Amino acid sequence: MREAITVRNLSYAYPDGTGALEDVNMSVYEGERVAIVGPNGAGKTTFLLHLNGILRGSDGQVEVFGKSMAKVKRGEIIKEVGIVFQDPDDQLFMPTLFDDLAFGPINLGLKEEEVRERVKNALLTLGLSGYEHRCPHHLSYGEKKKASLAAVMSMEPRILVLDEPTANLDPRSRAELIGIIKELNEREGITIVIATHDVNAIPELVDRVYVLNKTVITEGTPQKIFSDVELLKENNLEVPEVFKLFEVLRCFGYNCEELPLSIEEAVEHLTRTVGINDGHFHLHIHEHTHDEVRKLRSKYEHH
Amino acid sequence: MIEYPEIDRYASLDSPMHRFDPRAKIIAFLFLIFSIVLIPDLKIVFIGLFFAIFLLILSRIPIAFVLGHLKWVAMFVLSFFVILAFTFPGEEIAKFYFLSITAEGLYTGSLITIRAFSAVILIFPMIGTMRFDTTIKALESLKVPNSLVQMLMFTYRYIFVFADEFQRVWTAMGARGFKLRTSLYALRTIGKAMGMLFVRSYERAERVYRAMRSRGYTGNPKTLVEFDIRRRDYILAASIIGFAVSLHIISFIGVV
Ligand SMILES: Nc1ncnc2c1ncn2[C@@H]1O[C@H](COP(=O)(O)OP(=O)(O)OP(=O)(O)O)[C@@H](O)[C@H]1O
Ligand SMILES: [Mg+2]
Repeated sequence: MREAITVRNLSYAYPDGTGALEDVNMSVYEGERVAIVGPNGAGKTTFLLHLNGILRGSDGQVEVFGKSMAKVKRGEIIKEVGIVFQDPDDQLFMPTLFDDLAFGPINLGLKEEEVRERVKNALLTLGLSGYEHRCPHHLSYGEKKKASLAAVMSMEPRILVLDEPTANLDPRSRAELIGIIKELNEREGITIVIATHDVNAIPELVDRVYVLNKTVITEGTPQKIFSDVELLKENNLEVPEVFKLFEVLRCFGYNCEELPLSIEEAVEHLTRTVGINDGHFHLHIHEHTHDEVRKLRSKYEHH
Repeated sequence: MIEYPEIDRYASLDSPMHRFDPRAKIIAFLFLIFSIVLIPDLKIVFIGLFFAIFLLILSRIPIAFVLGHLKWVAMFVLSFFVILAFTFPGEEIAKFYFLSITAEGLYTGSLITIRAFSAVILIFPMIGTMRFDTTIKALESLKVPNSLVQMLMFTYRYIFVFADEFQRVWTAMGARGFKLRTSLYALRTIGKAMGMLFVRSYERAERVYRAMRSRGYTGNPKTLVEFDIRRRDYILAASIIGFAVSLHIISFIGVV
């Protein structure tokens, strides 16, 4: 598989001396969906800003589809990598939605009809048709969030980078946005990189997780990352609620090796278990059950 | 809630002024404003004022809305009027202690006041009858310098964001028992809050700039405009400009 993003030995310190990144290495493959998790101040946002050359590390390099960032023009990179920032008020800076969505394509030097076509498509993809002439300050937060994704999609990037796309959204907008991101990946093969604290979205949303805390601590499938208790504790990370529930069930004698991370996986798991055990499964309480539950509780306390 | 500065609140009404092509409208109105401001004759300036009110009525913008804004202008302009009336040298017509009012002072004061009111009233049918982003686009296509257009654009976009931010800080201060008093403590607190707001807007500017560069900003953003100037617009613009010119002709030959 082709590497979409390759980062080697990247370090970065802000001008005031704050060291934000140290020797970061990462590979994201074409068509993959990858999450970057880590505590507040871990450098996630700083890292994302390197992916299209907004920030440049002192040494080390970032390559996009094999092209080194240091060697190609910024315009080339911007065409490939679209970044959706966390606060939509930063992202939507033009007076109307149409102007905002047209901003990128115009800067790419496209012809007027092509620009209009792209704006129309981006609005359609995000379900915002009819919003062309709305001003950003008259939109709800969820609409703004979708609009800022549309403003990046109108540039038709092959890699989409999102900083906390699900933060502060109501359940419906959140589900909608997750659906859209997945669809962009599955239907158009867009590579996705997401920085997030939303652990419940991770199993559904990504294939692979990087734990970043100044440097890459580890990398792996959601299953692998969420099973590593020490790692989670050291990096202030949460696990999905479903995962915790099945750990509780395990204390009560439910038999499973690999714990489910999402509702879908849970349904699958239960169906399988019930199938093996002639149509039911069985829980019990032993002396050790309470001890185990207590241990489990203390495991997830953050101090 | 603090009030947003929404000059274009009534942009969605329908009137001849709303239908006027934005570029033609801006040119015609600016021409009219400048010509009224330059008229030296009080009687003719009054004709200008009536014409301004006529155009305002034509625009269907509620008078109460205009008066609300005019209040502030009035306070400013009337203070000028008073100062001029008392200080302009000339024939004395009244005296309070050591201060005297002159006829010339009254005349000049009235002239300036009426000019100012006419100009401010004309602003409403000019830019209150289209959305502000349309105004910006019209300016852009009239070849107003790009840096000025950008400044207007971002001011328009972010004034609301800052208003909200200010509101949040204010509410947070209120929630923790802060009351506005004229004490040193209150002033210091406000100073700190303002400083905080200033830092926040600086940080926002940095983030917005990043977002702009991420989408290929190089210093000259362009927008796509679709204005459609028609014969009607030419006629309307020509009439307004014609009126402005005739004010000066009348004033020059002194028929009134
Ligand atoms: N403009 C800046 N100047 C100086 N230091 C900064 C700047 N921006 C971020 N930092 C610092 O760099 C470090 C990494 O910040 P960053 O915003 O990348 O973290 P993050 O992982 O995105 O955090 P969060 O989860 O809170 O969004 C932090 O210590 C932060 O204080
Ligand atoms: Mg961040």
